[in-house]
Amino acid sequence: MQTDAIDLACENICKHFSEFTAVDNVSFTIPQGSFFSILGPSGCGKTTLLRMLAGFESPTSGDILIKNKSVLDVPPNKRPINMVFQHLALFPTMNIEQNIGYGLRRQGVAKAEIAERVAAVLKRVGLPDSGKKRVDQLSGGQRQRIALARCLVLNPTLLLLDEPLGALDLKLREQMKIELKQLQKEFGTTFVYITHDQSEALVMSDQIAVMNQGKFEQVGTPHELYYQPKTAFVASFVGDTNRWSGVVKSSVNQEDHQTQYQVTTNDGLTLDCVSQSSDIPVSSNVDVFVRPEAITVSLSAMDNCLENQLECQVENILFDGAKSQIIAIDKQSGGCITAAMPQTADFMGLKAGDAVYLSFSAKQALSFSEKQGEMNASL
Amino acid sequence: MLVSSSTASGSRSRIKLGMWLLLAPLCLWLLLLIILPHIELLSFSLSDPDEGGLTLSFYGEFFNEPLYWRTFLRTAIMSILATALTLVIAFPVAFFIAKMIKGRSKGILFAMCLIPFWVSELVRTFGWMILLRESGVISSGLQWLGLADSGVELLYTDATIMLGLVYSAMLFMVVPLVSTLDSLDDSYIEAGYDLGGNNWNIMREIIIPHATPGIVSGCIIVFMLSLGNYLTPVLLGGKDSLWFTEQIYTQFITRFNWEQGSAFGILLLLLSSLIVWLGLKVTGQSFTKTMG
Ligand SMILES: Nc1ncnc2c1ncn2[C@@H]1O[C@H](COP(=O)(O)OP(=O)(O)OP(=O)(O)O)[C@@H](O)[C@H]1O
Ligand SMILES: [Mg+2]
Repeated sequence: MQTDAIDLACENICKHFSEFTAVDNVSFTIPQGSFFSILGPSGCGKTTLLRMLAGFESPTSGDILIKNKSVLDVPPNKRPINMVFQHLALFPTMNIEQNIGYGLRRQGVAKAEIAERVAAVLKRVGLPDSGKKRVDQLSGGQRQRIALARCLVLNPTLLLLDEPLGALDLKLREQMKIELKQLQKEFGTTFVYITHDQSEALVMSDQIAVMNQGKFEQVGTPHELYYQPKTAFVASFVGDTNRWSGVVKSSVNQEDHQTQYQVTTNDGLTLDCVSQSSDIPVSSNVDVFVRPEAITVSLSAMDNCLENQLECQVENILFDGAKSQIIAIDKQSGGCITAAMPQTADFMGLKAGDAVYLSFSAKQALSFSEKQGEMNASL
Repeated sequence: MLVSSSTASGSRSRIKLGMWLLLAPLCLWLLLLIILPHIELLSFSLSDPDEGGLTLSFYGEFFNEPLYWRTFLRTAIMSILATALTLVIAFPVAFFIAKMIKGRSKGILFAMCLIPFWVSELVRTFGWMILLRESGVISSGLQWLGLADSGVELLYTDATIMLGLVYSAMLFMVVPLVSTLDSLDDSYIEAGYDLGGNNWNIMREIIIPHATPGIVSGCIIVFMLSLGNYLTPVLLGGKDSLWFTEQIYTQFITRFNWEQGSAFGILLLLLSSLIVWLGLKVTGQSFTKTMG
């Protein structure tokens, strides 16, 4: 899909603020032309990491390489990196043209060429006539595009975006997600995109790094993160999920190298599940995660091949069109389970109080050793 | 429909009344202390004391007698110079307070700029005199160090007047500058660096344009204060300070020529307004934009 050239490599980056570790031993590489997202909860160190890439903070230890050259000694105004700030930081004292031309003027580009390139980039972001406007005459989405154009006109090796959609309303955010991805493809620039919104990351990215408390938990494609999360944190942070804590009762090695475990949950259910790691000892504590859309809903008990089947009562239906969900109470344990509402005619009349059977295969119940979770939490 | 519109207009007139009540102290202040005295001054300056009726002779006196208009010119030029100097000194100070330091020390430093103004202007000016006179602290210090043989008189020069003016006006420049610079988000400066700017053109293209309202209002205040200052030029500049306010004082108090003094007062108002207006025109600023 991409060429193999590496645009950015970070090696063991750490950042300490006196006692506090904001970024903890992070390493990654970003291939040229890709859309790389860093996804994590608030305060996990995303902005700090990005500011180190841009050059506004220097790492306590570790190295940053752009096109295989260390840039630690290069000041921010000399790095081939541009940044779209969280609140865009379009200069209010300049009009749109002057804003976009600012970087070109710094490079000493001739006046006529500046005008030409500014006009060209304005056209590409779909705002050809707004050159003479003031910043406050544009709408939120238009400003977004201008901020992007102001960076892209300089043809940076790397474009950093710090939650640029955070200030927009939901509808516009959905639209801008698609536009951003399209612009990135058109320009072929490598994007490093920060967000705490998992849907933004999943929709746009080629690669996502999930960050928690200064560390990268997992780096992978959206598909990998969603279907093969490596840690409990990733499983719970990316996408919706049901979660049970329990104890391993027995384990069986399957022929496909996966180990199947039988887990008794703390509220008394017995679940069959799988794990990425094959060395969870019997009677250790685990967390089991099942996605709502992995659960098959049926109105009568099925004697099918799915390992787990729970008899439940519908507690509530959260109607959200195609994304409607069923909240059901498990008869045996009294626990709450969320399942995706099937969009077939059988379930049109489903209402609170109805009996349903929820079933899912062992393969879709991922378990993670709780120790791992504790380890992440304590760091 | 009728009812609702009448209540709407009723509440609107109530709002209007409330607004007038709130504005009343300001209007009274303007009327009693600014407008009335100036009307009185104007009528004084235009009346002929000997024959009655109107005369422009007191205004003519200002333009015919070189001492008067030269004094005014000198006062204006010195004030402009003092304003420029104050700006040059205050800008880095304000920038340091607003942008370079964070947290508690910011408040402390700002307070330190304020402290000199706790003391009355008269006392402050005498403080300068104690430092600068022939038998003063600096003079004796220089002698003690062997840098001077006899006492050095540092008072009664234009430089001393300038020093006093800049010192007494500093706060009025620092405060508006700090408040406008404070309102400049750091991300604009960072964006400037990120897009390839260096210190110099970030200052010129991002920081100064943003701070312009503060610079303009600070300059207007400092200029008007310097022009209308009486104490500092007289005490630090001595008898030959040739400050225009001194001429007004002389006319009113020494010569008892109230008509001439009034004419000078009105001229001071008109000419200084003219200078401010010219300054705004030249720099392409508008007064309402600055104040708004
Ligand atoms: N200059 C600083 N001094 C001390 N601590 C800091 C500093 N900057 C950031 N931190 C701390 O580092 C941690 C990470 O901050 P950072 O701004 O990178 O979070 P973030 O992931 O961008 O969060 P958000 O999504 O809320 O923007 C926070 O706990 C913050 O308190
Ligand atoms: Mg942040």
